[in-house]
Amino acid sequence: MTSPNTTAIQRLLWTRITWRHARNTPWATGLLILTLALGVAVYLAIRLANRAAVSSFQNFTDVVTAESDGILSAPAGSIPESVLSELRHAFPETPVHWIPVVESTATEPSDGTEGAIGGRVTYQILGLDWIAVQNLAAARRVDRAAVASAARASAPGGEGSWERFRDPAAVLAPASQESGPHRTPLRLVIQEQVVDLHVVGSIPEIPGQPRAPSNLLLMDLPALQALTGRKGKLDRIEFVVPEGPGRPSRVAALRRGLESLSGGRWIVGTPSDRRENAATMTQAFRMNLSLLSLLALLVGLMLVFQALDGAVVRRREEIAVLRSLGIEPARIQKAWLLEAAVLGLVGGSLGILLGWAGAQGAIRAVGQTINALYFSTAVRSAALDPLESLTALGMAVAASVAAGWWPARLAAATPPAQLMGSGRAQKGVSTPAWVLPTALGLLVVGGLLACLPALRLDGGPRISLAAYGTALCWLLGSGLLGGLLPPLLLGKLSVWSGLSAPWRLALSQLRRPTGRHRLAIAGLVCAVCMTAAMSILVGSFDTTLRGWIERTFVADLYVSSEGAQSASTQNRIRPETWKTLAADPAVGAVNVVQAMEVQLLGGSTVLLGSDLRFMHEQAGIAWRQMPRDAAIWDPDHNAGLALVSESFSERFQKRRGDPVDIPTPAGVRTVVIAGVFSDYGNERGSLVVQRERFAEWFQDELASSLIAKLRDPGAADAVRSRWKALHPGLAIYTQPHLRSEALRIFKQTFAITDSLEVIGIVVSVLGLGFTLSSLLLERRNDLTTLRALGFRHDEIALATAVESLLTALIGVVVGLMASLALGWLLIHRVNFQTFGWTLETDTPWRWMAGLGLAVLAMAAATGWSIGRWGAALPAEREE
Amino acid sequence: MDLGDDVRDMSASQSSRVLLQADDVRHAYGERLVLAGVSLTVHVAERVALTGPSGSGKTTLLNLLGGVDRPTAGRIELEGRLLGGLDGNALASLRRTSIGTVFQFFHLLPTLTVAENVELPLQLLGVPAAERRERVASLLDRVGVTGRSGALPSELSGGEMQRVAIARALVHRPRLVLADEPTGNLDSRNGQRVLQLLRELSDETGTAMVLVTHSSEAAGICHREIHLRDGVIETEVQRTPWLP
Repeated sequence: MTSPNTTAIQRLLWTRITWRHARNTPWATGLLILTLALGVAVYLAIRLANRAAVSSFQNFTDVVTAESDGILSAPAGSIPESVLSELRHAFPETPVHWIPVVESTATEPSDGTEGAIGGRVTYQILGLDWIAVQNLAAARRVDRAAVASAARASAPGGEGSWERFRDPAAVLAPASQESGPHRTPLRLVIQEQVVDLHVVGSIPEIPGQPRAPSNLLLMDLPALQALTGRKGKLDRIEFVVPEGPGRPSRVAALRRGLESLSGGRWIVGTPSDRRENAATMTQAFRMNLSLLSLLALLVGLMLVFQALDGAVVRRREEIAVLRSLGIEPARIQKAWLLEAAVLGLVGGSLGILLGWAGAQGAIRAVGQTINALYFSTAVRSAALDPLESLTALGMAVAASVAAGWWPARLAAATPPAQLMGSGRAQKGVSTPAWVLPTALGLLVVGGLLACLPALRLDGGPRISLAAYGTALCWLLGSGLLGGLLPPLLLGKLSVWSGLSAPWRLALSQLRRPTGRHRLAIAGLVCAVCMTAAMSILVGSFDTTLRGWIERTFVADLYVSSEGAQSASTQNRIRPETWKTLAADPAVGAVNVVQAMEVQLLGGSTVLLGSDLRFMHEQAGIAWRQMPRDAAIWDPDHNAGLALVSESFSERFQKRRGDPVDIPTPAGVRTVVIAGVFSDYGNERGSLVVQRERFAEWFQDELASSLIAKLRDPGAADAVRSRWKALHPGLAIYTQPHLRSEALRIFKQTFAITDSLEVIGIVVSVLGLGFTLSSLLLERRNDLTTLRALGFRHDEIALATAVESLLTALIGVVVGLMASLALGWLLIHRVNFQTFGWTLETDTPWRWMAGLGLAVLAMAAATGWSIGRWGAALPAEREE
Repeated sequence: MDLGDDVRDMSASQSSRVLLQADDVRHAYGERLVLAGVSLTVHVAERVALTGPSGSGKTTLLNLLGGVDRPTAGRIELEGRLLGGLDGNALASLRRTSIGTVFQFFHLLPTLTVAENVELPLQLLGVPAAERRERVASLLDRVGVTGRSGALPSELSGGEMQRVAIARALVHRPRLVLADEPTGNLDSRNGQRVLQLLRELSDETGTAMVLVTHSSEAAGICHREIHLRDGVIETEVQRTPWLP
């Protein structure tokens, strides 16, 4: 056959057959497309929301650092301003611009009530030396100069108002945030002070450069240092080498010089290091969410498979006719694959739109989680990223074709004579011999994979790749095993003489289940198993966290800056403020906590300065490794000792008795780990030393929080109100409120997981519905026979409902049993390896029973509806 | 012989023995008129063959007589009950008590064993298990497949399948058996065995039978043959005297 004929036949198959079927069954086609779209949408929504949240931070970094050739930052704490003059003296002949930078965060003040933590926008404030920035105008990099020139142009009075920037409250804001020089001042909390900032100009938008994030404010460097109580301290020093011959080698030479001069006082990095930091920090979180969202796509694809398989059943006779007319099997297979690809394309395209819409909803949950756990992100909407969209579309098409492969093969293998002769298609067949050994093999391989450690990424994050492999093996293995069970469980029951006719009929179908039955059971096993396992994880987390909160949060008042709205907040309490509070006569005991991010080998972590005796006496610490010696509690004897959180211990592979080197401005300090405690507040880990040591090492008295035990615990509300009136920039939480907020933030972290579970269950029950409808279509002759024998429609519906119910029952029982193993895996492997948190296993039996009953009810209702529909199908035997 | 004298003579005296009565039955699939006014009577224990070329309306008429489908116009009475006045459930009840059906392609339920297939109509009637077992065993013995009672339909030959189907059609002792090309999918030897079985069982149980067939042998076991063409009765022949 020549090529043009081949194309013509393929076109004929598409236009006359495939397309017309789709057009004639718009509801079925629409449902299929919608299902596929839903899977793609969930996947894309999470990806876009993640990307938006992370890129918000990266965009911020790009805007403020992309022009630099390098960045000097301290391994812990700040860089003294004196380093600037040291650099100028060290490199007197090197043409280079030094840009000192101070960063801070700020939030809008609350209304005075305790309120939700993390609910308000966090601003990033950048303190820049305007003179240094303006000097850049003379250099190659005009972009920074544009900041100054645009600011000048937009400031009242034009060029003549440059001095206005010396106003300690002057800021530049993005055009979208600008309230105007003569409008209402921007009232923000910086540290714990409420300040009014005057927006004197807008941050310019430079073509080809990233747009400034809406939460970015620029300020004069000394003014921000003064506001944050960090005079003489810098967060980093950027450097820019002017254009000219041999520039790369000059940059490299300068970097080498800076590194040799450092003596451990600073780290020489690049803007891309900082940019990648956000991606690295959230890598495990994003990977976990991406894997979960992929599951949604997978269950969607299972539905596509079942639907296409059902279409093969419906159109079997038509395929037989085409075969008998001489159309080759390969061409029929190609037509089906093309149909699957088109479905993938249309469903994927719709999914992109739905996913983009869904991302706007998911961004809130993802953003708040990232805020709570990693860094501040002010993102409010997610853009439709072309690459992510194309990837999702490609996945939809590829996966749809993959899902259509088996049905296409089935279609091509349709024997014309047999089908046209009797209309009989797939019968119950013996289970293939490979199923049992494969299922058992998968379970064993999964068990072996569970013994492997997590994959450790650069920068510290760990991903439980092997544990995910275990989950996949166990899901597939238990799904396959589930498919083997109907004959074993129902074989004897099906011959019981007490059965009514519909029950007998239903049981007989499962006594020799078809491949479709087995597939439906496998789908349900997977969905129920994943959902129940997640509920075990969440339930265990809930129980553990409640216990931890009850043991740990035992003080009466918890005080921090109002600006402390995210994990990366830089707002602290000034010493004069916390000293005033600590001296309040209502206070019985107080713990002032200082915190700082430090760079250790293997990644960044949080160093805490705390009153260890207070921790011992006033808070019930949950130990993983208890201190052997009481010296750790004595401020006079705990100089070289530290406590570490379990996450720290796992992440840095340090145990009790191991030494840890801490970089400080005063040089490296070595402490020995005295004990390891449980902490569920941060996955990067924390290292706790006596606060006095912290203050001494860093010459810093700023406190991140203050924890107070009152002489009269009943006076907590009154003391809170009094303190709040005196210090409106402080966030003061009572113990019950903080406990409930901690639980709320935890539950919010799992909000996306919950919605994915619901989608998974609904889609798998829909899949069961598709399977049943395919089976009934295949049994159309049987239905006619049943009617001829005197079966009423409701009896046929009952038989189908029972078949559906029993199929689901096996899926639910196996799924729930497998979920116990998967739950163990999630708690003791995935969670522990990723976050380093030991959880107390708590299986929510009642919830799981409810889940099982809900699935069974849905399955029975679906089976009944499809049975009614099948019973009313017109007789096939028509003259 | 066109509407022979025998038929006319007997009709008045046998009116009290009428089992099934169809009057001016019409049926259309969309615009296509398949039956254009058919009237017929079937008496108790009478065997009637419906013959005619393909598309003449035989199977459609059979479906209407069994209450599987409803006529577009006309009336059908079975045992004095007007089928058009019955709802779906009542029709189903009528079929399970009074009608047995035999199909060309046997249509045994593939997941049920031979015994279970035959037992099914009795289960629908709520017959006690012990009686069911006894009646099924007896009938399977009668149709000659006793040794295959535990087999699945896919393990049977065509002749065996049709004999099982006949057992299933008769096990609940219906007044009427409707058979659609019962030998159409069998070789001649098996076809003859099945016809003989049908005739014997009909005679033994007094069950009336309406056979749709192209086969003269099948029509030969019937008392009367009605030939359809283009949706109307073309001829009606009394082949053998029917003795109630």
